[in-house]
Amino acid sequence: MKFYISYFKLRFITGLQYRTAAIAGVATQLFFGLVYIMVYLAFYDSNSGGVPMSESSLVSYLWLNQIFFSLIYMFYKDKEIFDIIKNGNIAYELIRPKKIYFMWFFKIIGQRLSNVTLRCLPVLIIAIIMPKPYNLSAPESLLSFLMFVVTLIIGTLLMTAIITLYHVITLRTLNEKGITNLFMSLSDILAGGAVPIPFFPLFLQRIANVLPFRYIFDLPFRLYSGNVSVSDGLNGIVIQLIWFLIIVIIGNLLLKKSLKKVIVQGG
Amino acid sequence: MKLYIKSLKLHLKSMLEYKASFIISFLSQILVFFSYYFIILALFDKFDNIKGFTLYEVLLCFSIIQFGYAFCETFARGVDQFDNLIIRGDFDRLLLRPKPLILQVLCSDADYIKLSRLIQAIIVMVIALLKLNISWNLLKVFTLIFMILSSIVIFFGIFLLAASYCFITVQGLEVRNVFTDGGKHMAQYPIGIFKKGIVYFFTFVIPYAFVNYYPLLYFIGKENNLIYAFSPLLTFIYLIPCFLIFKLGLKRYSSVGS
Repeated sequence: MKFYISYFKLRFITGLQYRTAAIAGVATQLFFGLVYIMVYLAFYDSNSGGVPMSESSLVSYLWLNQIFFSLIYMFYKDKEIFDIIKNGNIAYELIRPKKIYFMWFFKIIGQRLSNVTLRCLPVLIIAIIMPKPYNLSAPESLLSFLMFVVTLIIGTLLMTAIITLYHVITLRTLNEKGITNLFMSLSDILAGGAVPIPFFPLFLQRIANVLPFRYIFDLPFRLYSGNVSVSDGLNGIVIQLIWFLIIVIIGNLLLKKSLKKVIVQGG
Repeated sequence: MKLYIKSLKLHLKSMLEYKASFIISFLSQILVFFSYYFIILALFDKFDNIKGFTLYEVLLCFSIIQFGYAFCETFARGVDQFDNLIIRGDFDRLLLRPKPLILQVLCSDADYIKLSRLIQAIIVMVIALLKLNISWNLLKVFTLIFMILSSIVIFFGIFLLAASYCFITVQGLEVRNVFTDGGKHMAQYPIGIFKKGIVYFFTFVIPYAFVNYYPLLYFIGKENNLIYAFSPLLTFIYLIPCFLIFKLGLKRYSSVGS
């Protein structure tokens, strides 16, 4: 465990070096946050009644989505992992007496946490000081805020397990563009990245509710604004943990199976 | 022109060398870009209009911008990826050859996978046109053609501007993308749904509004003024400063060496 933690630390600290990219990230997040809010508010202005989320909880959802974007966006590829798969350096990883799965897991989570550490604060501050109705409101209550924190932490673990699984799948397909792209963009939609889940057509809402993706950030973000009640949130935590375990196990089994057949590319 | 078509053929040939990979990437791209349309479809499932614009009007607006962007991404990829030419130092080679410079940049690359986006835009456009009740006349046909052409023109101009930026520095390209991609993203919606300041910005600074907002108003019968029908032609004027800035940047260009 100590090994993986230090591997995580290494990734985290390396990631913090990329500050110019972070400034661009902050600008992008602010811009897109505002555009989305303006589009939704235009919809709200021109229609009355029948909305699945109140205006302020929707705006909070959109801001939280931008604040944590670099942590939760489901379209995430670790270039180094794909490189070692393709150029054969995975052989060196196989020699090490550590589990590849967990090395990848901690690598991805370390990288993403350092990305979000650099980006979230400026976006958060600006989102709070925005004039009404464009601002991020305070959480519904202290309890829902605590639930938000807990579910977001488990959601981050779940996200990492799913992204690691996609990297394991790429070990079999050897092409990070085809199926991997497809899975990643579908999971982002089903997680509520493009549109919050309450706005989905009914049949898609049902599908999204059965799948693990909505437990990554849809649950915490809606707990924050009180759109999901605390008691539903408690159930949600249990489901989150179950999905996390299932996906870690699938990832490990699949990796083991693929490694039996792995052909080291190149000499 | 002959030269350009020949280079397009060559790029197509080289891409088809890896057929399976090309087809898979092509199909997955269609789904990746579907998420753009998904936002609109999902929201119109809950609401029936956005500031008076209906689903198919917004989709038409969307597809016109997507069409121009995908067209330039496919056929003008050399301009889009201009920073690569500069960073690798390949741009120096182009300077030595006795052919028009921009033509050579155009010939340097083409990305047929982006055709998937182009086809998708055409399909959405056709569906939107069929579903909208448009009282067709000859002028409206021209307006539609003007809109599509101006969409290509404006993105070519913006790509040129972005390429000129590379003459000064190749650092902070991501910040540049906020303006190109971000602007494109807003222009997908009828600009009129946003606040006044934004409408002015997209009228006078980056004239997206002339591509798919003012002509759209005429096209769907919200405005009868003929100026609106011909407004897309103004984007051709926008190309002039873009070319001038590119030329200006070229003068300041100093090679990265090697």
